[in-house]
Amino acid sequence: MVQVLDEELNRNFTALKKADPAPYFLSYEMIDTEATSVTATLGALQNTNSGKSRNVDISVRVGDAKLDNYRQIRGDRPQFAGAVSMPLDDEPNALRRRLWLETDRVYRTAAQRLINIKTNQQVKLEGDDKSGDFSEAPPVTKFETVAPLTFDRAKWQEKARKWSAYFSDKPEVLASSVVVVGQREVKTLVNTEGTKLQHGRQFARILISARGKAEDGMNLSASETFEAEDMSRLPDDKAVQAAVEKVYRKLAALLKAPLAEPYTGPAILSGKAAGVFFHEIFGHRIEGHRQKDETEGQTFTKMVGQKILPDFLSVKMDPTLHRLANIDLYGWYDFDDEGVVARPVSVVKAGVLENFLLSRSPINGFPVSNGHGRKQLGAEVVARQSNLVVESTKAVSNADLRKSLIAEIKKQNKPYGLYFEEVSSGFTITSRRGMQAFAVNPVMVYKVFADGRPDQLIRGADIVGTPLASFAKIAETSNDVTVFNGYCGAESGQVPVSASSPALLVSEIEVSLRERSQERPPFLGRPAGLTVSGGLN
Amino acid sequence: MRRRDLVFLLPAAALAQSADPVLKAMQDEMARARQMSVVGGQPIFYIECTLDEAVAFRATASLGAMFSANASSYRVPRVSMRIGEPKFDNTNYMFSEVFMGTRFDPEQFPIDNNPAAMRQVYWLALDRAYKTALEAIGRKRAALRNITQAEELADFTTAAPVKMVLPVPNWAANEDAWKGRITRLSKIFAAYPEVYTSSVDYETSRDIYYFANNEGTELRYTELLAYVRVRANGQAPDGMRLRDHVTFVSNDVTKLPGEAEMEKTVRESADNLRALLKAPQGESYSGPVLFEATAAAQMFSDLIGSQAAVFRKPVMEPGRNVNLPISDLEGRLGSRVLPSSFTVVDDPTQKEYRGRTLLGHYPVDLEGVTPSPVVLVEKGTLKNYLATRVPTRDAKTSNGHARLPGSFGGYSAFASNLFVKSDETTPASEMKTKLIDMVKQRNKPYGMLVRKLDFPSTAGFDELRAMLGGVSGRVAALPLLVYRVYPDGREELVRGMRFRGLNARALKDIVAAGSDEAVFDYIGNAAPFSIVGGGNYVFGCTTVAPSVLFEDLELERPQIELPKLPVVPPPPLTA
Repeated sequence: MVQVLDEELNRNFTALKKADPAPYFLSYEMIDTEATSVTATLGALQNTNSGKSRNVDISVRVGDAKLDNYRQIRGDRPQFAGAVSMPLDDEPNALRRRLWLETDRVYRTAAQRLINIKTNQQVKLEGDDKSGDFSEAPPVTKFETVAPLTFDRAKWQEKARKWSAYFSDKPEVLASSVVVVGQREVKTLVNTEGTKLQHGRQFARILISARGKAEDGMNLSASETFEAEDMSRLPDDKAVQAAVEKVYRKLAALLKAPLAEPYTGPAILSGKAAGVFFHEIFGHRIEGHRQKDETEGQTFTKMVGQKILPDFLSVKMDPTLHRLANIDLYGWYDFDDEGVVARPVSVVKAGVLENFLLSRSPINGFPVSNGHGRKQLGAEVVARQSNLVVESTKAVSNADLRKSLIAEIKKQNKPYGLYFEEVSSGFTITSRRGMQAFAVNPVMVYKVFADGRPDQLIRGADIVGTPLASFAKIAETSNDVTVFNGYCGAESGQVPVSASSPALLVSEIEVSLRERSQERPPFLGRPAGLTVSGGLN
Repeated sequence: MRRRDLVFLLPAAALAQSADPVLKAMQDEMARARQMSVVGGQPIFYIECTLDEAVAFRATASLGAMFSANASSYRVPRVSMRIGEPKFDNTNYMFSEVFMGTRFDPEQFPIDNNPAAMRQVYWLALDRAYKTALEAIGRKRAALRNITQAEELADFTTAAPVKMVLPVPNWAANEDAWKGRITRLSKIFAAYPEVYTSSVDYETSRDIYYFANNEGTELRYTELLAYVRVRANGQAPDGMRLRDHVTFVSNDVTKLPGEAEMEKTVRESADNLRALLKAPQGESYSGPVLFEATAAAQMFSDLIGSQAAVFRKPVMEPGRNVNLPISDLEGRLGSRVLPSSFTVVDDPTQKEYRGRTLLGHYPVDLEGVTPSPVVLVEKGTLKNYLATRVPTRDAKTSNGHARLPGSFGGYSAFASNLFVKSDETTPASEMKTKLIDMVKQRNKPYGMLVRKLDFPSTAGFDELRAMLGGVSGRVAALPLLVYRVYPDGREELVRGMRFRGLNARALKDIVAAGSDEAVFDYIGNAAPFSIVGGGNYVFGCTTVAPSVLFEDLELERPQIELPKLPVVPPPPLTA
């Protein structure tokens, strides 16, 4: 298999060498995916999907490492990969034909783009970053095997039915589902520098979600997920059942919770919430390619060696880490999508910026990759996050952190502080054209009162802010770590990541009110009916 | 397929209680949904719930290798609601189906027959439908304050309720046998290095259609479909991309041709492509053109089958006109469209023709209307259109041809079994002689013979865009195999041609029909040329037609840029 890929790679490379412009680099990345998923709602199976696919992404570089077809030109991202489907059997005729035609297509697109880039360069000013387009990386020869996917379909169908049935007598839940996913991915990479690599991993996931509508029309949702390195490491039934019940409790409480009001003041972000906060407002801004794209905000480009976080905080990206605080991390890999071996990268040490995340696209002062060139099938590699870990030396117990919050509320003379227990997702704008801002969408937010009243859940609050100002306001952290696993979407598609952090006390955070749906809840109540499980007739 | 047709016509509509759990869930929620009119203030006069339940197996092979093999099963629900009154309701308005709120009903329906879970879907879907309808009828009324309709037509017509709950036939996909067969068929192309890409697809499916409305109609019937589709592409020395394809289709998988016959046909197709790649480019031509029976059946499917329904134009917002497709046959009722010897009938009630199962048969249409045969053309004159329950100027009541979900709250009509016949036929063997006579008479160097059209088309998206672009009027399907016929009878294959002005208006120029007949089965959809993969809703069709000779037809060589040949020569093929 690898041999066929390698032979066709070199046959094409040799022949294309005689063409003008000639390629100087060619790579084939073949991705084998096998996935099964089971979805259930209200005790009934909604679907079971399973499939195997094999696709190839081809990369051709024409020109030279200083200037090639991957150069960013204003408003135009390079896109060559086509995720072409490949035979599931290792049949050489079919494999070779597909590779040959796809190489030709990619070569033509690459050659055309290089000519456009050179034309563009004649009419545009040079950017600040004078580094080239492709850095050196040592070739790798390695064949890892990935264990077969074991997904007991009947077992998971039954479990999904059972778990999802919990919502059957909860009329305020308008939509709910339990999804179980098992996936296996094997990547085979060959390039003209001699790399011959096979590696991969598995994914296992349980997602429980429920949605509803408050009386005033606001749409609300709650979810819990479990991620694991393979199916066997997913939690036991009791833990999942507890999570199902928790999803319901959260949604039911949210549906009855009072609305948030615009607020500025002190807050605690839980470890999970802080992880997302760091992923959004910090992680995306240290991705290497943003430092040389003239359309980017380049918040940190010229701040290496300078203090950007309080000195008690350090941040690392570690794709070699598989577990933290007893939780499987989702952002691990052995090699990135350019065949560069994974390694931990210390990004911020004691508050000082040390490093960026790098693919094989070099930037000023950072000439080689640190193994963070990642992508989804069909996309082009850019620098992406892996496992983000925030570490603190100013750490206290959660109880003490709460005491500090209450002290801060009193000091600032605020009616209350906020506790962000859970956030669902966020986005950040790094482009120069937009505001350099971020928004994080909290799910579970509580008012914390200084006078000892119990915390009060509120709904409809969004955290807003600008990155540099927000970092300066981190005052203290907890001494435990929690993990947020998920998929991160950016230019190179969806990639699995994680973000782990202690809880953070922030002296000032700004909250805005979320946009609300104006539409009425259903006219009629939910149908009252017996829940009877049955199969296909 | 075992199927007993049990049709009861009900005198009055009482909300029934079906024994089928899916139909019962529909009926339970429809009964409840009526209460919404109390809260919403607008009377609901029509509700329907449907469910498409599909199980399918699909596989693709190329050059002796399996590319994909997937089994799938899913259920897709749909609901529809009409408020106001049949004379004027929420439909037939450009924003009839626009819903701005959050959707809570899932797009996929439970696979288990769990009553609570099934009713939940219809409850939320009908809630959404009612809110959509309320908004639509208000906006439609407002829009009509500022525009005057060319003519006022009712929005919906009556139809007799039908109860037809048929047993569901067993279905099994013999996955391994078919995987083996298509892998072997795909390997044939290993002997054709000039074929750049090739594939053999196999699909077999069972679709159960559930339908219930508040008029008492209750349906459960099954459609089976199986096909093998073979596609091959290559590039001529000047860069022109060429292709050929073959489809074997049946509503009974056991009636698909045997492997030996398929193998023969695939080889023919590979030989066709090989010949095309070496063939000269055609020159612009105007003169007599002969369509062999299969090509003629494809042409009639395209020019009449897909055009025989008139589309009801929705009420537009003032100043926001949207261009909607207009049938070539629109406004031509009572006019001559074919020579006076021709009759065209669309007959979904016919199951067999000369011992062959017809693909276009169905017991009842998607709206629950029992179909009737429709004489579209009589003695060359257009007499009728295919119709649904949405009236149009020239088709005020349904004739049971709602074959796919449509836009603006209604269904779309489409042909089923289309029979094109002529009273005056020329022996098939003399059709070519007739062509040659005309060529000689008019002193032309050659005439043209069309053996195969690209219908249903396998064009890619880019090719389709190129085909439809830069041409005024409706474009006809491309000829895949077209030959020059010289006065001495010699045939010469040419490539790169397309028709000019071949539309329903050109059919009057037919001067002869052969005594032969082709029975052409195909899978139709809403896209132009029923392009493969062009619609998520498909239906079986059959067209029966004789070979036909046109007195005058134009073929042209479009001026398009040709892609370059691959830089690297193709990899060698091993046996």
